[in-house]
Amino acid sequence: MSESAVDLPALFRDETTQRLDQMDTALLAVEAGEAGAETVDSLFRNAHTIKGAAGMLGFDDVRAVAHAAEDILSGVREAQVFPPALAGPLLVATAALRAQVTGDGPAVDDVLGELAASRAALLDGDVRPPGAVAAEPSPPEAAEPVQAVPPATGSPPADVPPPAGTRRELRVPAEKIDHLLDVVGEIMQHRRRLTHSLGPERELAPGVAEVLGAGQRMLDDLKGTAVDMRTLPLAAMTGPLPRAVRDFARAAGKDVEFVITGADTELDRVILESLPEPLTHLLRNAVVHGIECPAGRERAGKPGRGRVELRAVPRGPLVEIVVADDGQGVTAEVIEAARREGSLADLLGQPGYSTAPEVSDLAGRGVGLDAVAAYVRSLGGSLDVSSEPGHGMAVTLLLPLALALVEVLLFERGGAVYGVPLPAVEEVVTVTRTLVLQGRPALELRGRSVPVADFAALIGTAAPPLGDRSPALVITVGGRRAAVTCDALLGQEEVVVKPLGPLFGGVDGYLGATILGDGRVALLVEPGILTRGSRQVAATARPMPMPPAPDRAVAARKVLVVEDSFSVRELQRSILETAGYLVVTARDGRDAIETLGQDTGIALVITDLEMPELDGLQLTRTIRADAAWSSLPVIIVTSQGSEEDRRRGIEAGADAYMAKRSFDQQALLLNVERLIGR
Amino acid sequence: MSVHVRVRVAAEAYAVAVEHVLEVVDIGDVTAVPGSRPELLGVRDLRGQILPVVDLALLLGIASTAPPGRLLVAEAHGRQAAFAVDEVNGVGDLAEPAEETESGLLAGAALGDGDLVGVIDMPRVFDALDQVPVP
Repeated sequence: MSESAVDLPALFRDETTQRLDQMDTALLAVEAGEAGAETVDSLFRNAHTIKGAAGMLGFDDVRAVAHAAEDILSGVREAQVFPPALAGPLLVATAALRAQVTGDGPAVDDVLGELAASRAALLDGDVRPPGAVAAEPSPPEAAEPVQAVPPATGSPPADVPPPAGTRRELRVPAEKIDHLLDVVGEIMQHRRRLTHSLGPERELAPGVAEVLGAGQRMLDDLKGTAVDMRTLPLAAMTGPLPRAVRDFARAAGKDVEFVITGADTELDRVILESLPEPLTHLLRNAVVHGIECPAGRERAGKPGRGRVELRAVPRGPLVEIVVADDGQGVTAEVIEAARREGSLADLLGQPGYSTAPEVSDLAGRGVGLDAVAAYVRSLGGSLDVSSEPGHGMAVTLLLPLALALVEVLLFERGGAVYGVPLPAVEEVVTVTRTLVLQGRPALELRGRSVPVADFAALIGTAAPPLGDRSPALVITVGGRRAAVTCDALLGQEEVVVKPLGPLFGGVDGYLGATILGDGRVALLVEPGILTRGSRQVAATARPMPMPPAPDRAVAARKVLVVEDSFSVRELQRSILETAGYLVVTARDGRDAIETLGQDTGIALVITDLEMPELDGLQLTRTIRADAAWSSLPVIIVTSQGSEEDRRRGIEAGADAYMAKRSFDQQALLLNVERLIGR
Repeated sequence: MSVHVRVRVAAEAYAVAVEHVLEVVDIGDVTAVPGSRPELLGVRDLRGQILPVVDLALLLGIASTAPPGRLLVAEAHGRQAAFAVDEVNGVGDLAEPAEETESGLLAGAALGDGDLVGVIDMPRVFDALDQVPVP
């Protein structure tokens, strides 16, 4: 299971830490004599969920401690009384759990001994009644151990602070950070407006200029912090990739080593969220169409095991993401065709290139590359493809590091202001003389010719003819160079990119718009349309049409995973998705009912038993009782593995019942396949 | 009777149910977006937001007589757009749209103040904007 669980431990750690925080708060309330029945329920649920997730992920010590804590809590639930003195040993348990999940906890035997003793004492009715403790309030560390606890437990006190060097982390909804960035952008605009109306800096009183300068420095600092908060390392999305590559390789009969380098490279969250699809696609192409079968590789004098690499490298304001393989590459004929076309990226990135019959044997390398190219362009980046016949291929996505704030060069044409991302601008020249060949104008630039075009003509707008000596931007995108003429340059500025909105969804060529200091709107132009020679209007707004993988040719079946633990939910999702199922998730039974009501395409439900709101048994009964869903298959996956539980699950109408302890993905997939096929 | 905002588009009278109207602003600086379809005049800054500006006359299929002077900022399906109109004539009660009309963008027409007033069905207008094919 380790293959699919690449970043699951991190996920599990985050989630468990959160649950432990909740447990600690609740236990402190218990100790203070302020706990209600719902406190016990939430404590029990948290301990139970930690146990389940730890069991599935193979963290046996964590599972054991959580299990012991859960035992005590279930005793408390039955006894319907929560002696405050029990909070002490439970806090010891949460501290031990915290030490375990953060990595270097000591052995848990002592803690387990103490918990077992506490439970025994609880069963004997030998803990102090609540009143007794409330009458003589004592600080948590002084909470008297119950009688049966062995004297030398050696375990840390209940309220040990987290190990030194542990960073405090805060979970913040992404929208809040987006909003922060928006506000920062607006302050920057506001400031531009202010400096605009104050006039040139040299005419300001010295005091004013100083205050403005100090404000600018603070604003830059604030902006840097806000942008930082929106970036995440590439590693945040690479988790499922090794498993995906392994599956592609297995299905295609290839032997492939997959390497990820630069996983700590930071990327804008929005880009990161959209990357899995194009990357998975490129990896699939590399494995299926790039890497040769082991025998073929050996014949070619290469090691039988192919190598596919995913590499991320920061490049100033851009980041380079490369998918490279040491497979067969493209043929010399394709290289030759690419030379005529401009570049390999141009050739393979043409819509429908792969369907052209004359290149069918290698068409695979172009499959969906047009969609990847469109994706990269829509983010203001560029695509580069290099290949050497017999020696593999590398596809490079050059993406902006930050999406929300972009450094642009502003220029004017036909009375309107436009911006183009600065990294794409190689230089600015003044047009003094144009050369013409076959009716196509070009500029001479240090001994090379560069095609030149009027910006207005490129984006398809009417504008008065350009004057003499008009400025031209030399744009480079993916190895293509072109000069673009305009009326005037307005200078460079860091601007907030705002989307044009859905009504402009079908219009190709814009990254968005920005609001200038004087309140005018400047359109931000995707550099690619300036080097491609003419505007290409997409037929419709398209959301990355990826061709289906051949092994998933049958319409994928949709599975609803109901589970309150995020780690377990994501684990099941990755197992099912890798096997080719579509997965939707719900956090508890009530959420599941809602999802079922909205999504009629769900073919199977996999549910946990113990969940807040509506539990797995109630959910199963609700499904069975509803005419519309009565034949919907239900699998219960739970940590309660007793015969009695199994019988209750089956009685409620479950089609299969699996214990998390014995959980293995093959068994889960077999059950799913048995019930709905694949 | 329900409350509507009365507008004039290409010299004709129209009304929009007040719950869809967010505000009315001057036409201001509208930036054309080359390559977009003709019903979209462009985009405009409204307190830091980029709003699409729709040529309401063209959408309704009538010939404008003068350049629009005002923008009616409207919302439906959780989306917002500014609609260019000649002028805004105020807010008031309007009779139920008892008169039938041919346009799918109108809920009907009502007689009021000596005008035949077309009642614009904003949710349908937004639907139509989604469906207009890109040239």
